[in-house]
Amino acid sequence: MSGHRVAAITRRLLQQFRRDRRTLALLFVAPIVILGLLGYLIRGSASAPAVGIANEDQGPLGATIAAALARSSEISTTSIQASDGGAKLKDGSLAAYIVFPADFSSQAQGGTIAPEVHLEGSQPGTTAPVLQALQRALVSVASQAPGQGLHVQPQVTYLYGGPGFDTLDYFGAAFIGLVVFFLVFVVTIVSFLNERSQGTLERLMASPLRRGEIVLGYGLGFTVLALIQSVEVLIFSLAVLKVHNAGNVALIFGIEALMAIAAVNLGIFLSMFARTEFQAVQFIPLVIVPQFLLSGILFSVSSEPKPLQLLSDVLPLTYAVNGLRDVMVKGADLTWGSLQLDVGVVLGFVVLLVLAAVLTLRRRIA
Amino acid sequence: MSDSWAVDVQNVSKSFGAVKALDGVTVRVKRGEIYGLLGPNGAGKTTLIRMLVGLLEAHAGTVTVLEQRMPNVGVLRHVGYMTQQAALYPGLSAEENVRFFGAINGAEEGVKDALELVKLYDRRDSVVSTLSGGMRQRCSLACALVHKPQLLLLDEPTVGVDPQLRVELWEDFRKMAATGTTIIVSSHVMDEAERCQRLGLIQYGKLLAEGSPDEIRATAGAQNLEEAFLRLAGSRS
Repeated sequence: MSGHRVAAITRRLLQQFRRDRRTLALLFVAPIVILGLLGYLIRGSASAPAVGIANEDQGPLGATIAAALARSSEISTTSIQASDGGAKLKDGSLAAYIVFPADFSSQAQGGTIAPEVHLEGSQPGTTAPVLQALQRALVSVASQAPGQGLHVQPQVTYLYGGPGFDTLDYFGAAFIGLVVFFLVFVVTIVSFLNERSQGTLERLMASPLRRGEIVLGYGLGFTVLALIQSVEVLIFSLAVLKVHNAGNVALIFGIEALMAIAAVNLGIFLSMFARTEFQAVQFIPLVIVPQFLLSGILFSVSSEPKPLQLLSDVLPLTYAVNGLRDVMVKGADLTWGSLQLDVGVVLGFVVLLVLAAVLTLRRRIA
Repeated sequence: MSDSWAVDVQNVSKSFGAVKALDGVTVRVKRGEIYGLLGPNGAGKTTLIRMLVGLLEAHAGTVTVLEQRMPNVGVLRHVGYMTQQAALYPGLSAEENVRFFGAINGAEEGVKDALELVKLYDRRDSVVSTLSGGMRQRCSLACALVHKPQLLLLDEPTVGVDPQLRVELWEDFRKMAATGTTIIVSSHVMDEAERCQRLGLIQYGKLLAEGSPDEIRATAGAQNLEEAFLRLAGSRS
C-alpha cells in the first residue's frame, strides 16, 4: 500500500471533477433542489381534507357532533346539503361528507346512532383522518352523554375503491405508469447517446434516412419493448399484488403507451445535451425526480402549496398519473371530461417531444 | 460536360467560428476514378468529405454529387460513406450490421457479396464487439459498400490498420473501381497516395496541388511524394 499512489488517484479524481462543472453542479445543487422541494411539499402542504357536514337532525345531537368536528384540526368542515354531497365528491371539492339523519337524536335514545359517512375513497391518505376525526368527535360527545353506553354504527359508503382499498392501490396505479416512463427514458437516452458516440449516428445521417424516420423507428422499437414491459408490470400488479382496478385494462395500456412514446422522445431530445453516458444519468435527478415529486404520486396536487401547483400543472407526468388513477381507481372511461383532458395533455406533450427530438437531430448535424 | 464528373466541388469555403476549414477549394473527380485527398491532420479533408454526404453545408461555393446539388437526401442512396472510426453497432453480428446499413440505404441484397469482398463471410455471425480492430474496419467497409454505391467516400480507412490488411483493403478498393465505382479516399499516409490515380494536396483548407502522383512529383521536382508534399506546402507559406 503506497500513500503516494493512493493520493495520485484521489488527486486525479478531484482534478477531473474540477473541469466537469456539470457534475459539480449536480453534486451540490441537486440535493438542495430535491430536499428543498420535498420540504416545501410536506411543510407547505396546506389543507386538511375538506369534509362536508349535512346536519338534518331534528334533535340537538347532530349539531353537537358537527361542532366537535368543526374544532378538529385533522379535517376542515363546511356545512352542505346532503343532496349536493355526491356531486361535490365527484368533482373533488370534498374528500368526504357526513350526514346526520333527521332521526339522529332519537336514534340515540335507542342506544345506537348511525351517522352516514360518504367517502370519496380514492386517496387512503385522506380517508383515514376523516374516520379518525369522526371517531374522536363521537367519543367526546358520548362521554358527556349521561347514562348507558352509546353504540356507534357509522354507515360508511365509498364512491371509489372500498374499505379494503389501501395505499398500494392508490400508488400502484401511478407507479405502473411511472416505472415504464422512467425505465424507457433511461434506456433511450443511453442508447441514443451510444449512437452518437460510436459514430453510427453520423452514418445514419449520411444515408437517405430522414430525421423523422429515425425518431419514428426509435419510438416504435422502444414502444414494443415498453409494451411488453407494460404487460408484465400490469399482470404483476393486478394478479400478484392485486392492485385495485375498476377500469378498462386496454385504456391503462393506451396511457402507458403514450408515456413510453413521450419518454423515448424526451430521451432523444435530452441526449443532445449530454456528451457521455455519465452525463446522461445526471438527468435523472434533474428531470425525473422533480417530476416524480410534483406529479401527485406521493402528495396529491391539490394539497401542494400554490406555487408548486402551477409547476405541477405544466408537467406531463402529472396528467399521466392523474389519468391512470382515474381509470384504475375511479373506473373512468374516455367519456369522462377529466380523462379526456389528461389524455389530451399527454398526447400534446408527446407531439411536442417528437418535434423537439426531430429538431434536435437537425441542429446537431447542421 | 458536367455529367462525366462524379463529384464537382466549386470554390467551396467553410469555417467553424474563426477557423477556416476550407478556403475556396475546387475539386472535380471523374466517374470510376480513385482520388486521394492528401494532407496533414486538420487540413480540411474530413470537412470536405462530410460536405459530400450533406452533413455539412458550404458557406460559399457549390457541391455537386452525381449531378445533384448537395445537400440532397435522395442522392445519398448512391453514396457509401466510411467514417474514420469503425462506426458499427457493437452488439450486433457483422452480418446484422451490414444488413442494417444496406436496409437504410434501400438495399435488401448484396450482404453476402459485401462480406465476401472484405473476407468476413466466415465470421459473419460474430458479434462485432468480439472482432479485432482490423476486422471491424473491414466490416465498416462492407457496411459502406453493401448497397453498391456509385460513389464511395473513405475517410482515412486504413488508420491503425496493419500493413498486411492495408494491402488487402486497397485490393478491395481497386476491385470496386474496376466495376465503375468512384472512390475518394482521404489519407495522410504517402504510400497510400501512390495507389491513387489522382491526388489533391490539401493544407490549411486550401488545395495546394492536384494531379497524378507522377505529375505531383514532377511539379515539385521531388523524388517521392513526401518530399513533394513538403516542398509544395512550404512554397505557399
